[in-house]
Amino acid sequence: MEHQRFIMINPDKCTGCRTCEMACSLYNEKECSPSLSRIRVVRNEAIGDSFPVGCALCSKPVCVEVCPTGANSIDPVMGTGIINEEICVGCKACVRACPFGAAGISYKTGKAFKCNLCNGDPQCVKHCPSNCLEYAPVELTVRHRRRALADDVISKLKGEG
Amino acid sequence: MSINGWRGKRIRFNLTKGTWAVEETPYEYRRKWLGGRGYNSEVLYNNVPVDVDPLSPENVVCLGVGPLSGTFGPSTGRVTVTAKSPLTGGFGDSNMGGHWGAELKYAGYEQIILTGKAPKPSYIWIDDDKIEIRDGSHIWGKFPRDADAIIKEELGDKDIHIVTIGPAGENLVRFACTFNDCYRAAGRTGHGAVIGSKNIKAIAVRGTGGVKIAKPEEYYKICSDWRETMRTDPMAQGLFNFGSLILIMPCNYEMGWFPWKNLKYGYHPDARNISGEVWAKKHLRHKEGCFSCAICCGIVSEVREGKYAGDYTGGPEYEAAVPTGPRVGIIDSETTLHNAMLTNNYGMDAIEAGASISWAMECWEHGLLTSKDTGGIDLTWGNQEAVEQLLHDMTYRKGFGDILADGPWRASMKLGLGEEYLTVTRGMSLPGDDPRGLGFGYGLSFAVGTRGGCDHLRSLCCLELSGYLYPGLNMKIVGTEECSKPLTTIGKPKMVYWEENQKAFVDCLQVCCFNTHWSYGCRNEHLIPMINAVTGLDFTEEELMTIGERIYNLERAYWSKMLSGKHEDTVPKRFTHEPMPENPAASSGKVLPLDEMLPEYYRLRQYEPETGFPGDKRLRELGLEDIAEELKPYRKKYIDLHEGKKGAKPQQQPKKGK
Repeated sequence: MEHQRFIMINPDKCTGCRTCEMACSLYNEKECSPSLSRIRVVRNEAIGDSFPVGCALCSKPVCVEVCPTGANSIDPVMGTGIINEEICVGCKACVRACPFGAAGISYKTGKAFKCNLCNGDPQCVKHCPSNCLEYAPVELTVRHRRRALADDVISKLKGEG
Repeated sequence: MSINGWRGKRIRFNLTKGTWAVEETPYEYRRKWLGGRGYNSEVLYNNVPVDVDPLSPENVVCLGVGPLSGTFGPSTGRVTVTAKSPLTGGFGDSNMGGHWGAELKYAGYEQIILTGKAPKPSYIWIDDDKIEIRDGSHIWGKFPRDADAIIKEELGDKDIHIVTIGPAGENLVRFACTFNDCYRAAGRTGHGAVIGSKNIKAIAVRGTGGVKIAKPEEYYKICSDWRETMRTDPMAQGLFNFGSLILIMPCNYEMGWFPWKNLKYGYHPDARNISGEVWAKKHLRHKEGCFSCAICCGIVSEVREGKYAGDYTGGPEYEAAVPTGPRVGIIDSETTLHNAMLTNNYGMDAIEAGASISWAMECWEHGLLTSKDTGGIDLTWGNQEAVEQLLHDMTYRKGFGDILADGPWRASMKLGLGEEYLTVTRGMSLPGDDPRGLGFGYGLSFAVGTRGGCDHLRSLCCLELSGYLYPGLNMKIVGTEECSKPLTTIGKPKMVYWEENQKAFVDCLQVCCFNTHWSYGCRNEHLIPMINAVTGLDFTEEELMTIGERIYNLERAYWSKMLSGKHEDTVPKRFTHEPMPENPAASSGKVLPLDEMLPEYYRLRQYEPETGFPGDKRLRELGLEDIAEELKPYRKKYIDLHEGKKGAKPQQQPKKGK
C-alpha cells in the first residue's frame, strides 16, 4: 500500500472556484450539482481563503464499519470507496460517521455515494486550474512538502526570503 | 418533458405587499430571450415606462442567470443585474461574477424580479423552494462584507451565497453597486441605489439542486478540451498569475491609455507601481476564483506595512483600482488599495466614484471650483485626504459629497460648470480606458453602447487588442487582418457590431467574457456545441447572433423612447478633439476619429440615419414588431427636438428624484 495514490491538497493554492465540484458531479452523476460532488470546497469569501474537502481514503474507514448492510466497502486494490447501490438502503449511517463530511446521499437515487478516485483518473485533479489538487503516491507528496518547507526555512535563515 | 440547462422558473416579488409569485418561463420565451441579460432586458423594457423615476417603487430590479449557469462550462456563475439607471435615467445593467448565480440556479430559478418597495429595511431568503422576506433593520448601514457575515451567522450556514448592497445603496448614491460574495460587484449604472430605494439590503440563497444536462458525456468532453486550451494560453495564464492589473504595463508603457488625471494623459512614468507584477509581490493575500472558472483572475489583497497596514479587500481588478488611484492623481499601490477597499465597503461603483472626484479636481485645477464650493476641501490632484473625505461624504451624502453623489454629469448640470471636463456619454463616465490609446473600436463602442458611456463591456473589442495573437480570426469574423491594430478605423464598425451581438448572447448564458471574449479558446465554435449539449436543442450560430442583435436593439429602443439617439452617439470632446499629450507610447498625439466609423456602423446595424433609432425593417426581422410600432411616434418627436439644433443637450432626464 505504500504506493497508494491519493489526492493531496495544497490549500494555499485553492482559488475556491469549485471547478472540481463541477467536474466530479458531471463526470460521475451526469448532472451539474455540488450536492452530488464527492469533493466540496469550503470558501471564506471575506478573506479569500478556500479549502477543498474530499474523501481521505482512511486506512480504517468508519463509513465501512458503520454500514449495516455491507453496501459500503473498500476496493482492495485501489483502496477507494465502493457503494453497492443494490443493497444500500440510504440510511445515512456513513454520512453521520464520516468526520470530514465527505460522504453523501444522492438526491436522485436516495443512495449513498463516495469518492472512487474516478477509477484512478480523478477528474477534479485533472481540471483544477491552480494545481491545488495533486494525485500522487502518499510518500511522494509528503516528500515534496518536506522539501518545500526546508527550502523556505533555509532561504529565510540565509536572509534570502 | 424534462428541461435541460434551464430550470425554467423565476420569482417575481411585490415588495410593497410582501408577496411573491413563482412563474414558469415557457419554451418559446427561453428560445427568444435565452436567459440572464436577455430575460432582464425584456422585463425592463416591458415593465418600466421611460418616464418612471429610477428611484421610485415603479422601477424594477432583475437579477438573471442563464442556461449554462451553474455547470461545468467556463466561469458560469455570473449574474446580470438590470434596472432603469438612476445614474443615466436610461437602460442600465451590469454583470458580476462570484458564486451567487450558480446558487440561484441550484435553488431552481433563472431570474429574480423585484418590484415595489418594502415597508421597512428587509432582506430576502431563498432556501430552495422556501422563500421569505425577513427583517433587515439590524444589517442596514453595514458594509457588504459585514452584512454578509451577520446574515450567514443568523441563518446558520456559512456556505450560502448572498447579494448585498452597501451604505451608498441605502443612501441612494446614484452609482451605488450590487455585490455578491462580499466583493464581487456588478459595478455600473447604479442599481445598488435602486435596490436600496426598495428597502432591500440583501438576497441570500441556498440551492441544493442541480442542473440537468441533455448530453453529459458530450458536454464534459467539450468543456475539458476548452479548459485544456486555457491552460496553455498566454493571456489566460497572465490573468491567472497577476489578475487584470497585468494590463497596467502594456496599457501605460506600450499603448499609452493609462488614465492619469481624469483621462487627460495616457502615460505616467511610475505606472509600474501598481502593476500586477508588483501587486502580486506586495499585496496578494490569496487567489480567488469565480464559480467554475478556468482563469481565476480574482485576488484578495492586503496592505502589509505603513499607514494602511491591515487593510484588506477583494480585488481590486484593473477597472476598480485605477479610478481612485491614477485617475485622481495617486500613483502608489498602498493608497490605491486603501481607496479600493473604501469603495468596496461603502458599496459604490469605483469607476463613477473616481470619475466624480477626478472631474471635480480638474475643475479645481482650472479655478472653476474653489474651497467655497467644496466646503473647505482642497481638491488638488493627488490629495488623498480629499479623496478619502469625498468617498465618505458621497456615501453619506454630506456637503459637497452630496452633490458628487449624483455623479459628475448631474453635478456639472446642477452647478452649471465644468462640462468640458466631463468624461461622460449618455450620463455615465468612461472607465479607465482612453480610446485614444486603447483602440478606435473601443472608442466607437463607448459612443454607441446601450448602457451609456462605458462601455468596454458592451462590445469588448478583444479582436483589436489580441487578434494578432490568433492569425486568421479577424479575417474570418471581420474580413480583414488590418483591424488587429488598435489605432486604425479599418474594419472597426463591423468588429464592434459583431462583438456587441456576440457579447449580448454570451451575457444571456452568463458566461464570463474573460473566458469567451478575449480571443483565446472559447469563441462561438466552442460555445454553440456547449449550449446544444446542455439544452439538447439545435441552436445555430446565426440564431444565437440574432438573439444577441435582438437584445441589443431592444435596449437601444429603450433609449430611443427617451429621445436619445444619433446626437448622443458621441464621446467627450477630450477624446475626439484633444490630441493625446506627448508620451513615449503609441497613443502620443492621437485623437479618436469617431466620425469615420459611425456611418458604417449605422449601416450594419440598420439604424435610421436621421435619428439613430433601430430601423423598422430590422426590428420586424428580429421579431420585435411591437417595438417597431411603438417607436413610430418617437421618431417625429426626436426629429422635432433636434431640428436645426445640432449639438443640442443630451437626453432628457427626469429631475432629481428627491
